[in-house]
Amino acid sequence: MFFENVDFSGLELPPAALRLREEVRAFLKAEVAAGTFIPHLGHTEFDADFTRRVAERGWIGMTWPRAYGGQERSYLERFVVTEEMLAAAAPCAAHWFGDRQTGPSLLRYGSEHLKNKYLPVIARGECYFALGMSEPNSGSDLASVRTRAERVPGGWRVTGQKVWTSWAHKAHAFFVLCRTVPDIGKRHDGLSQLIVELDAPGVTVRPIRFMNGHHHFNEVFLDNVFIPDDMVVGEAGQGWKQITSELAFERSGPERYMTTFALLVELTRRLGQAPDERAQEMVGRLTARLWTLRRMSLAIALTLEPASADGGAIDLATEAALVKDMGTFYEREITDAARLLTVVEPTPDATDSFERYLAETIVFAPISTIRGGTTQVLRTLIARRLLGSLK
Amino acid sequence: MNVPDEARLMLVESATRLFTDHVDQKMLDAAKHDGWSQKLWQVLEQAELPRVSIPEELGGAGGTLSDAAAVLRVAGRYCAPVPLAETGMLAGWMLACSGLAVPRGPLAVGPVHDETLTARKDGGRWIISGKLARVPWARMAGRLVLLARDGDRDLVASVDPAQCKITPGRNLDDEPRDEVVLEDVVLPDADAAPAGAGVTREMLCYRGALARSIAMAGALERALELSVAYAQQRVQFGRKIGQFQAIQQELARFAGEVAAAVAAALSTAGVLERHAVGKAGHEDVMLAVATAKIRVAQAAHEGALIAHQVHGAIGVTDEYALHHSTLRLWAWREEFGNEAKWAMALGRAIHARGAGELWATLTKN
Ligand SMILES: Cc1cc2nc3c(=O)[nH]c(=O)nc-3n(C[C@H](O)[C@H](O)[C@H](O)COP(=O)(O)OP(=O)(O)OC[C@H]3O[C@@H](n4cnc5c(N)ncnc54)[C@H](O)[C@@H]3O)c2cc1C
Repeated sequence: MFFENVDFSGLELPPAALRLREEVRAFLKAEVAAGTFIPHLGHTEFDADFTRRVAERGWIGMTWPRAYGGQERSYLERFVVTEEMLAAAAPCAAHWFGDRQTGPSLLRYGSEHLKNKYLPVIARGECYFALGMSEPNSGSDLASVRTRAERVPGGWRVTGQKVWTSWAHKAHAFFVLCRTVPDIGKRHDGLSQLIVELDAPGVTVRPIRFMNGHHHFNEVFLDNVFIPDDMVVGEAGQGWKQITSELAFERSGPERYMTTFALLVELTRRLGQAPDERAQEMVGRLTARLWTLRRMSLAIALTLEPASADGGAIDLATEAALVKDMGTFYEREITDAARLLTVVEPTPDATDSFERYLAETIVFAPISTIRGGTTQVLRTLIARRLLGSLK
Repeated sequence: MNVPDEARLMLVESATRLFTDHVDQKMLDAAKHDGWSQKLWQVLEQAELPRVSIPEELGGAGGTLSDAAAVLRVAGRYCAPVPLAETGMLAGWMLACSGLAVPRGPLAVGPVHDETLTARKDGGRWIISGKLARVPWARMAGRLVLLARDGDRDLVASVDPAQCKITPGRNLDDEPRDEVVLEDVVLPDADAAPAGAGVTREMLCYRGALARSIAMAGALERALELSVAYAQQRVQFGRKIGQFQAIQQELARFAGEVAAAVAAALSTAGVLERHAVGKAGHEDVMLAVATAKIRVAQAAHEGALIAHQVHGAIGVTDEYALHHSTLRLWAWREEFGNEAKWAMALGRAIHARGAGELWATLTKN
């Protein structure tokens, strides 16, 4: 029914990926020892210096062609880097969208000009991207976006408002989903993806504070911003197809079940070597769930691996939605277990890692089931595949 | 690409065809009275399915443990009322590893609980004694394949059930779970051998828990299939109930649980296979088996109740097929350790290794 023809009995990473894991661990260990970053949970932190050091290792855009600054390494190696970064709660926000979204989209749909302009600088950790999809009246129902681009000589004039744009205040540019043809009923047609540089005239970025005061996301106003033709990603009017085609990788990655993992490690440490049976049982359950989620995520990565070059022979988008749905709920279970097994009043500025992580994961608990497709929307998608169209 | 090899796909295909042809609800209802289906057993045996993963030179059909797991998953899906796992993955494995031929016919295995059988040598024969609770399929078995204690070593014994006192018992869906008493049962030397490499009480329990996990994954798949089909067809308020978002959300959650169960169970079979060739350690096996039994039991808990909820009242009747799957799920989750027992074992192991090792443990292949 799901995961048809996926082999769970193998799931072994190739030697190159295992060697890479050791390199990444050594790198992160040295970073932690040098105190270059303070790990935080919730949304990954933005740290341009860290991003540049990761880039020096060749770990940003590592699957991309060398011609565009990549390393031509496998998706499995990227999987390993991602999960190691998450396990260490490393600050990856500066390169996150570029590495996961911008790069693959440009490689697939971008012109030679765009690929040359952006991919090498993203891979060097010098250029940061954000994602402009959501709008005040378009959340889950993305096809209803109202930001519109009007044809002018040599390009487009874009007007509209984006919200929840993570790190727009630090990024150089962002992908903007907008309407280039008026909606005349076929709502998935006529959408386009453009690249807008955030310092372009007519762009205004305003913070939206998170409930704990953090400045993470923004609203971005676009007022008649001129976008030259060569900043359109792919074909004008094909934006919808483009944004939906990468979902299998996007939704099934370790970031969908590992954002609270560091708390589980600290919980285990705090409970000590021989905790009571209740603690043993809870930690046992959490471990089993994590192991299983990782196997599913890895199975998707391994199955898509060689197909990724030719555009994905097996469609695992619904399986990815399953992983995201279960993974995001799993993350909260860690938080709850940590609360229930210890006596700690959550304090945001705690110096003790366990206590800080606990406070952070409580405050950020709502986000992972909202962003990247809400629970309800994912489940509707999964049900559609189960039930077919019912009339 | 990460897809099963041709041979396994063909095996699954032929097993599926065979079960589709020979298992239906009438047969399952009848099996409740007899405790099993002789006819189905014969068909399976002809197709050599109970002996997958046993080496051919010892009377098996060859193939890997993952091949056997693939067949068992299909059997679980069809609620096949026969000792498929017991015969191959458990008894057959014990015999083959200990250099004993695997006889034809259904086999039972023990002990499956904490009891100990004692064995002592008496000239050219063995004398075996002890009492075993809830041995699956004992009264149907051609032989009881038992692990007995002889001083400080284990003996694998192939015992004729006629020599034992067997009191029938049953599980929730009337599968045989019998009490077996051995009072100084005399066994010729040829029917026993020192337990072969890797054959221990502990490993029997691991393989038993794995076998139940795999069959449960299959049973969950069937319960989901029935629920989806029902939601596509049952009409209330003028609409198919599958059109209601509340039902859709539950089915989607159910599908996630089923996928997790399949992933955990089949991955674990892979770990045991790697263990057999020295690519995974003993504790890796324990961690994987614990994971499978915990995760699958959780899925069984969630899934069975969602299946019934989606079905409304019809689902709880004995005339509708769903109960064959759900009763088995509720029975099997307790066998070879329930999720609480395994979670404690797993948690204990994780804590003993220490927090610093948790990530390394999870990422070890
Ligand atoms: C931390 C964070 C960072 C983000 N970063 C970005 C970013 O960088 N760029 C960007 O473009 N967006 C970003 N987002 C926005 C995110 O993509 C949206 O929040 C998401 O798509 C949901 O939209 P919404 O918040 O408007 O909720 P809505 O779509 O209004 O949903 C509200 C509720 O209604 C439910 N609902 C909606 N439709 C249905 C339906 N058909 N059936 C059943 N229930 C339904 C939802 O599940 C939810 O429970 C971010 C969000 C968060 C929380």
